[in-house]
Amino acid sequence: MNEITNKMRKIAGEILQKGEASVVIGWEKGTFWYLSPPAFIDKVEDVDRLVWDDFCHNNLSKYLVDFKYKEEKVAIFVKGCDSRAFNRLLQDKQIEREKVILIGIPCPGLKDQDQAKTLGKEGDIPKAEKCLECKYPNPLVYDYYLGEKEELDEVAATKEAPNYSDVEAIEAMSPDERYEFWTKQYDRCIRCYACRNVCPACNCRECVFDQTCVGWIGKANNSSENQFFALTRAMHVAGRCIECGECERACPMDIPIMLLNKKIIKDINELFGEYDAGIDVDSKLPLGHFDKSDPEEFM
Amino acid sequence: MSVKDMQENWEPKILVFACNWCTYAGADLAGLSRLQYPPNIRILRVPCSGRVNPQFVLRAFQRGIDGVLVAGCHPGDCHYVTGNYFTRRRYLLMQRLLQYVGIDPERFQARWISGSEGPKFQQVVTEITEEIKAMGPNRKMRDV
Repeated sequence: MNEITNKMRKIAGEILQKGEASVVIGWEKGTFWYLSPPAFIDKVEDVDRLVWDDFCHNNLSKYLVDFKYKEEKVAIFVKGCDSRAFNRLLQDKQIEREKVILIGIPCPGLKDQDQAKTLGKEGDIPKAEKCLECKYPNPLVYDYYLGEKEELDEVAATKEAPNYSDVEAIEAMSPDERYEFWTKQYDRCIRCYACRNVCPACNCRECVFDQTCVGWIGKANNSSENQFFALTRAMHVAGRCIECGECERACPMDIPIMLLNKKIIKDINELFGEYDAGIDVDSKLPLGHFDKSDPEEFM
Repeated sequence: MSVKDMQENWEPKILVFACNWCTYAGADLAGLSRLQYPPNIRILRVPCSGRVNPQFVLRAFQRGIDGVLVAGCHPGDCHYVTGNYFTRRRYLLMQRLLQYVGIDPERFQARWISGSEGPKFQQVVTEITEEIKAMGPNRKMRDV
């Protein structure tokens, strides 16, 4: 039992006892030892379900959208990426800061679930790919803080410039090779929308892919419609993606969704200046404002 | 008509999203001035180039369009003051994303064409049609 788990249970118990929030959102142990799905705790006696381990991948900020129209206050645990998602949701005016109690947890990087499954409990499980490049392991916004954050700040500070080598590898291909690559990836898509459901950037009240209006979106599961889905979703999360990599983890078909999102992040940085989503609540959104000096390619 | 004839007589289908205030007027001027341009284009009038949802472009490719042109007022001239600045940001990204998934850059283009630029409209449309004719029909993203 690690120290942070104990602290989590204690603080969650206190919050529920005092009635500061009616529900605490954290992680609990799932069906397997390498799964830690979200837990919604609303009774003091349930706080012992909460855990913090190497597999607490879910971005909990996403679930705040479910409480948007409720009066009650919610307490959630946030890692670095969760806190970025929280900031981004604030910017989208999806939630109110006053209605949420944030309990920050410094995150040393989580472990890969798929590898854990094959290597077993005793194996040396590598870090999840999304965590290798993490620039913000510490929560950026919080009301309470569990654990020590200094050492992680140092780790983050020594990180090099973002690595886009995987995106560049695809850019280097010819158009036909690229098309073949993406067709192969998205032909596997079963349109379960797990990527959308788990993504904190996907916070529309009614998603375009749930529309029943004819003409907006084809329901057929074929190559063309799958690519339509992929590109539309990529454009919708453009400027919102906080690189938590949840879409890719949730994808049952192992489609490299982050390759699309990273491409857009790379382009935003190149075209409109350095921008990391969800760092500063007062920052301007890359697709929500413009600059007269933006690159001009359409003359 | 046999399949072979169809292949030989293939003509590209090009969709032009024309903003009501500039490009549509520009196209009108091209017509009034009797400027010849290829009849391969289908003009779709939109209130502003900012109205063009990226989904429209994708849908056009799905349904058999060989090339898409989004055209609007020059930056600074937008009837709605800022619409085309947003278009510019959005389509700078969209253009790169489409190329990233393998759509050839010629197939999706954006241009600023004002109401007085009838000759420019003629020239842009002619250029695009020729480029796409040379490339042949678009098979990517086709919903067939």
